[in-house]
Amino acid sequence: MTTCVDPLVVGGVIGDVIDLFVPMVTMSVHFGSKHINNGCEITPSLAANLPTVNISGRRFDRFTLVMTDPDAPSPSEPTLRELVHWVVVNIPGSTDASHGQELVPYMGPKPPLGIHRYVLVLFHQQSEFRAVAPPTTRANFSTRDFAVQCELGLPVAVAYFNSQKQPAARRR
Amino acid sequence: MALATSSPAANLYPWSMAPLRAALPSVSSARIHSCSFSTPLRSLRTGSSAKRSLRCFTGLTPTVTIFRTFSETAPTAYTSSDKHSCLLSWASLLRDKENVRYEDGFIATNNGSKFFAMRHGKRVPKLNRPPDQRRALIRGLTTQLLKHGRIKTTRPRASALRKYVDKMITLAKDGSLHKRRQALGFIYEKQIVHALFAEVQDRYGERNGGYTRIIRTLPRRGDNAPMAYIELV
Repeated sequence: MTTCVDPLVVGGVIGDVIDLFVPMVTMSVHFGSKHINNGCEITPSLAANLPTVNISGRRFDRFTLVMTDPDAPSPSEPTLRELVHWVVVNIPGSTDASHGQELVPYMGPKPPLGIHRYVLVLFHQQSEFRAVAPPTTRANFSTRDFAVQCELGLPVAVAYFNSQKQPAARRR
Repeated sequence: MALATSSPAANLYPWSMAPLRAALPSVSSARIHSCSFSTPLRSLRTGSSAKRSLRCFTGLTPTVTIFRTFSETAPTAYTSSDKHSCLLSWASLLRDKENVRYEDGFIATNNGSKFFAMRHGKRVPKLNRPPDQRRALIRGLTTQLLKHGRIKTTRPRASALRKYVDKMITLAKDGSLHKRRQALGFIYEKQIVHALFAEVQDRYGERNGGYTRIIRTLPRRGDNAPMAYIELV
């Protein structure tokens, strides 16, 4: 029943951001010491710095990582869907995301209203990218169109977490 | 035995009640014991059965027994058919409410309904609150859900909320002035109602029902309450 339904489907990631895929590669994301499970809650302060993304795979493989927010500016009115936070290309297999080239520099989550999902999608590249034009704006990004544009196909690994604005410390 | 012997309507039931009375436990009206259950071992050890008063649960029994209306006829020979007819007559007597005089201490309702101590089949979630607070909680939660799109709350509250959020979206889909005013009477902020009525056709025009999704998540740290995200689909 519901116990065997993929959390990506339940959380709406498959459908909003990507299509149904078969996970080929294991990807583990850590913000500091906190490991990302699908749908876990991360505070924006914890996610302000770059995460460590460990990817399995073969040495000569190249991967592309895309991090977007499909609920920008608010989950009830996602007019800016999706907001791209981070794009890294040419990541070699079984290494860290820091070994790749940053196409779009990392921007931490800053959800203004409501609880936002932040999705990290990993694609397998056919070959090394020489010159890829970065998107002009962060807003209204489409992961599907980016994958079609760069001939990436279906994703090989996906992770997502939730984040919401921390209430400001009350002045006493 | 506290059975009143004389009664004007006593001769209505000429059946012999002696075998039945002997079979049933005696309820003493003079000494009403507190609700304590008799241990079988102790009752076996006490002496004669005539003087024995069973300490049984007397909360729901009438203080004066209903055997008052039966006549004290001479005990006839005890046969099994007699006992059956006695039991049947006793059952029919309970059904004829006008013949039985209920004293105070017995719950008697006019329409013959029964009072259940359990909650079987009742589907309204009470949320541990009185009705006015419950309604206010649900109104507040639906307002917040329609405003933010996704909220995190406890699982019973999220599952109680689904019905009302679907109701609000159905009102918005209808779109008439009457429905708008009904929605304004439920949701606390009128901007949200107007925004909902404006955008619901593009968002939920094709979808028939099921406008929310519940995702269960980790329990809350303070009290281990099971939490869930509820979001508009």
